[in-house]
Amino acid sequence: MLHDLFDGYTRSILVFTGVNIMAAYSFYAPFKTGQVSLGQAGFMAIGAYASAVLTQKFGLPFAAALPVAGVAAGVIGILVGFPALRIKGIYLLLLTLGFAEIVQVVTLSWDFVGGAQGFRQIPFVPSILEYVVCLIIVVVLFFARLERSSLGRAMDAVHQDETVAEVMGLDVVRIKLLAFGLGAAIAGLAGALYAHHATYIDSNTFNIMVAVEILMFVIVGGSSTYWGSLLGAGFLTLLPEFLRSLRDWLELVPVAWTDFFPMNRIYDFLRDALDFENAKRLIVYGIIIMVMMILRPDGLLTRDSLRRLWTPRHA
Amino acid sequence: MPELAAACLEIRGLTKRFGGFYALNELDMEVATGHIHALIGPNGAGKTTFFNLLTGVLAADEGAIVFEGRALDEARPSRRTVRGIARTFQNIRLFPHLTALETVMIGEHCRAYGSTWRALGAAVLRRPFGEAAEERRMRENAMELLAFLGLANHGKERASNLSYGDQRRLEIARALATQPRLLLLDEPAAGLNPNETAALDETITRIRDRGVTVVLIEHDMNLVMGISDRVTVLNFGTKIAEGTPGEVQTHPAVLEAYLGEDVKP
Repeated sequence: MLHDLFDGYTRSILVFTGVNIMAAYSFYAPFKTGQVSLGQAGFMAIGAYASAVLTQKFGLPFAAALPVAGVAAGVIGILVGFPALRIKGIYLLLLTLGFAEIVQVVTLSWDFVGGAQGFRQIPFVPSILEYVVCLIIVVVLFFARLERSSLGRAMDAVHQDETVAEVMGLDVVRIKLLAFGLGAAIAGLAGALYAHHATYIDSNTFNIMVAVEILMFVIVGGSSTYWGSLLGAGFLTLLPEFLRSLRDWLELVPVAWTDFFPMNRIYDFLRDALDFENAKRLIVYGIIIMVMMILRPDGLLTRDSLRRLWTPRHA
Repeated sequence: MPELAAACLEIRGLTKRFGGFYALNELDMEVATGHIHALIGPNGAGKTTFFNLLTGVLAADEGAIVFEGRALDEARPSRRTVRGIARTFQNIRLFPHLTALETVMIGEHCRAYGSTWRALGAAVLRRPFGEAAEERRMRENAMELLAFLGLANHGKERASNLSYGDQRRLEIARALATQPRLLLLDEPAAGLNPNETAALDETITRIRDRGVTVVLIEHDMNLVMGISDRVTVLNFGTKIAEGTPGEVQTHPAVLEAYLGEDVKP
């Protein structure tokens, strides 16, 4: 039903936005316990390849392959999570980055999954948008409940002071592994969704840049609340599209004005730089993150700003 | 017949080395159930190291710890907390972004949910609206503990915004929330004003009256001598004296450790 509501182009944008939102949540989950992972693109690749193999080579329906892709990525996530338990900060970043590189090398050299040729003719799923929307709703509801639960509070405590959390009786090992595995599983689902929309993946589809962008989504949106991931991924993915449609309006500006001040050309440069298919957008991302770190280091949305929104002014 | 007034804690030959330095050397010690047992000594005597060994933050090199008649084999701090040992920290370590109420509820987590899986289940599989019964019980317990420590009006404040004395009390509330039978207090009076110290005196006694054995590291001698049932004195990782407050105060080795070598002609 959602399929018929939009033309192919809009549908495509919405699916990619949804995949990015899922990817952002996959980063948010381990981050909630203080684990910063640059390996989420690797887990996306695992989910994408798993689902592609299961549907194309074993003839499984997508509805069955999707959960398997999530579980596969989650299990590998827990395995990666074990060595990740003992290290923090920059070292964890390097470990997860290394993992993502391993996944890239394996998919590049393993002929069963297409090797350097990439994985072609992944069955296209017409109702992919429905899957994306449903999964996002499930994930948001999950985090909404987690946030208001004892476990969510425990994760916050682990994030703030791991040693003390452990001394206060929290099973830090389990909590961190759970968060890491959960994030990996969500990444796997995101990867599978991507694969069955794009119908082609190769070892470079989920590269380090993807991991950096996922990190950007959460940092820009705000990492202290689960709404931040949704906002950040939605905002940064849709921004170039909004700018594109804005271009049509600029055509209406009188020529005399644009001669005086070339706003259309400035605009074209900016839009070009933000284009999703264009590596130059990383320059813009870099500028955005520097400005953000100065003006709003906690991201666009924070727990405090949400609290202010919900509580009436005269309470 | 079971032994009367059994020891809550028995320490045998506990040793911790950092390189060649003995932070704690062959410590033998017994803490009787229901006592307030003070641990004093100059800075660097190994008092906090002792707490770290008891709670599993550090691993002992040698020696045995017996808690309530059973060896304290659990390596991980969280397992020892579940066994019934809780502590506060000398340099206050609260979770800065949590409110006072949430901080105390963190302490209750290990009692309310046996395992992380059950906690996950409770988070996901509850009724769509309203508070789960478990969560409500935790909140009520936490409120009771905050009131017990005189923090009832600060429940919604962030831990990092509380005054210094309130933060110290919040640490005690968080430790008590784990329902310990042995509470380790690491310099609870440090940085408190005289009024607050006097109130702390009463608080510790009330904690003991709740059935919690207390081991107290403290430099405030008025507090120590006033409330302790027994005092152990450490110096350079070695026990130099032990006894009632009165005995310890006049012990020559203690005077030497605190006031320096005998300067009599």
